[in-house]
Amino acid sequence: MSSHPQATPLGSPRPLGVGILGAGPVTQAIHLPSLARLRNILEVRHIMDVDSAVAESVAARVGANYSTSMDALLGDPDVDIVAICSPHQFHADQVIAACRAGKKAVLCEKPFAMSGEEAARISAVSEETSVPIIVGAMHTFDPGWLAAEANWGDLSENVHTIRSSIVLPPNARFEDFATEIITRPAGGTPDYSDVEVIKNALRGGIMGLAIHDLPLVRRFTPDFEDLEVLQARHVRPFGYVISLRSGNRIIELRAAMNKTWKPEWVFEAISDDAALRVDFTPSYVQAGSAVATITRGTTSTTYGPYEHNGYEGEWRELAQLALRTKQPPSAESLINDLTFAIAIADATVDVAAAEHANSHAGARS
Amino acid sequence: MSTQYTVTSTPRAEESGAVALAVASLPASFGPVATGEAARISAIEGAPRWTTEAIKAIDGGASGIVVVNPVPESTAALLDAAEVSGVAVVLDQRWASNPGLAGAEDAARLVAGRAAMLDSVATAAAGSDPERLLTEHLAAVVRVTGGLDAVRVLRRGTHGYTVSGRLANGAPVSLQGVLSNSRPAGVDFRLYTDDGGVSITVPEPLAAWPAEVRATGPQGEILLPTLYESAHRTTWRRLKEHLDAGTLPSDLAGFARLTESIAHLT
Repeated sequence: MSSHPQATPLGSPRPLGVGILGAGPVTQAIHLPSLARLRNILEVRHIMDVDSAVAESVAARVGANYSTSMDALLGDPDVDIVAICSPHQFHADQVIAACRAGKKAVLCEKPFAMSGEEAARISAVSEETSVPIIVGAMHTFDPGWLAAEANWGDLSENVHTIRSSIVLPPNARFEDFATEIITRPAGGTPDYSDVEVIKNALRGGIMGLAIHDLPLVRRFTPDFEDLEVLQARHVRPFGYVISLRSGNRIIELRAAMNKTWKPEWVFEAISDDAALRVDFTPSYVQAGSAVATITRGTTSTTYGPYEHNGYEGEWRELAQLALRTKQPPSAESLINDLTFAIAIADATVDVAAAEHANSHAGARS
Repeated sequence: MSTQYTVTSTPRAEESGAVALAVASLPASFGPVATGEAARISAIEGAPRWTTEAIKAIDGGASGIVVVNPVPESTAALLDAAEVSGVAVVLDQRWASNPGLAGAEDAARLVAGRAAMLDSVATAAAGSDPERLLTEHLAAVVRVTGGLDAVRVLRRGTHGYTVSGRLANGAPVSLQGVLSNSRPAGVDFRLYTDDGGVSITVPEPLAAWPAEVRATGPQGEILLPTLYESAHRTTWRRLKEHLDAGTLPSDLAGFARLTESIAHLT
């Protein structure tokens, strides 16, 4: 196999170069397969991971350079677009560094920061450097979702109920359908009697799982700062039951990650006279787009499925941003998405802790 | 040849319970009463004070009573009257009477000990009474899962409600009511376990749409046999079985438990 299989036809513009910080399962199972479908416009040129063996192995799959330091990747002149796929706590500093390195565009896996302060720093640097940033909330780039958004009319103004329901097998099941994973993070055996375990699980559930759909929820909740948590409960082994009120909207978030083989990922927005239902394909696999159905009365219109999913949509968008053929999303929008998620996470863990205490008190009485 | 029972119905029971259609679909068992004669079966609407109306029907000589969509109220006096007179009283409930729930109940019982979450959504037309919807919803849920613990209303309003509770093993329960003209009316249950679960979709009793009950496990998914019989017809068929066997249904006792649960909702 050639080290540079993505040969460019003579006369074609050279594909944009991609560098990826972090070579874990998301890079291996999501980004490399997505980029393999876009060889005419994007080419992986540099893989960085703190584990040298992982960096080398993953880079070899795509004939890219590898390194173990962020500076080496950002200093590589062949890298035009930087994708940040490292652990959450590194995201903010790496986004800022990529902007300051003068790259053409940055993709940051969600969440792109863990606090409002970090988000503000990113916003300032993005404005100063004019480097476009997008967050890897893949559903917002899904063609099925985008078709719904173009056609839902006044639904967003009249919605009274929003539901996100996620049922997923363990990540490994779909990672293994997408690629051959080199390394996986070790799992643990949580102690569910420890309230801190519950709080961490809830926060992780919101910032790692619910956050996929929270930007979608926010499209329907203009008054998101007026947020009340009605219930927040942990679902074993990993999941949540969360009910929120935002203004006159009700938001119901459900998730169950367990050993099932059957994934189900549904987003709904409902008013008195119209309803949107979006059935997303599972994470990792290239199983095409979501299917969106808009119903008014008893008449339904369906959009999709289209051939590509939101992961590929992200990369298509990044290429357009890097080529300056499309306007980037406003930093304010990204910050609002993040603020919304953090507000829910903060409020939720407090309520969940109280619920946990009541539940255990009930069990003892 | 079995007995054919004559039927009379109040106009509101006829409207909400499709009594004429149900009776016409069981022509060997039931038939309309001749003018001037007393019917053996009375169908009444389950509006407030329905228990009083039912006792009147018993006093008038009815052998059987069908109550369509009963609202919560004390059934103690009616239960006594029915037992003393040997009258069969059956309840025709919007979703809880769907014939598919018998299989659903069995499927749910098999996995109840491993349940991780129950998420259920009931949908009715915009402008419907959310209190009534909650009663109908809860009736269907407890039919499948048995009683719930720590049930409380988190919010209720013109667009619906959210109710929380716990299953017997402590797993969280969430019941949501949604009022909209653009979501099919019915009730949907998702009982999740560590490796699958049971999903149940119960349609309106307006037609013989079947409930869909699916049991998912490591080996795949089983769709239980679909039963193309409306909740209304099932209720009438069940009444006939009790009348022929001379047994008394347990509907009123079950409804008393539901009424008590709703009375204690906080």
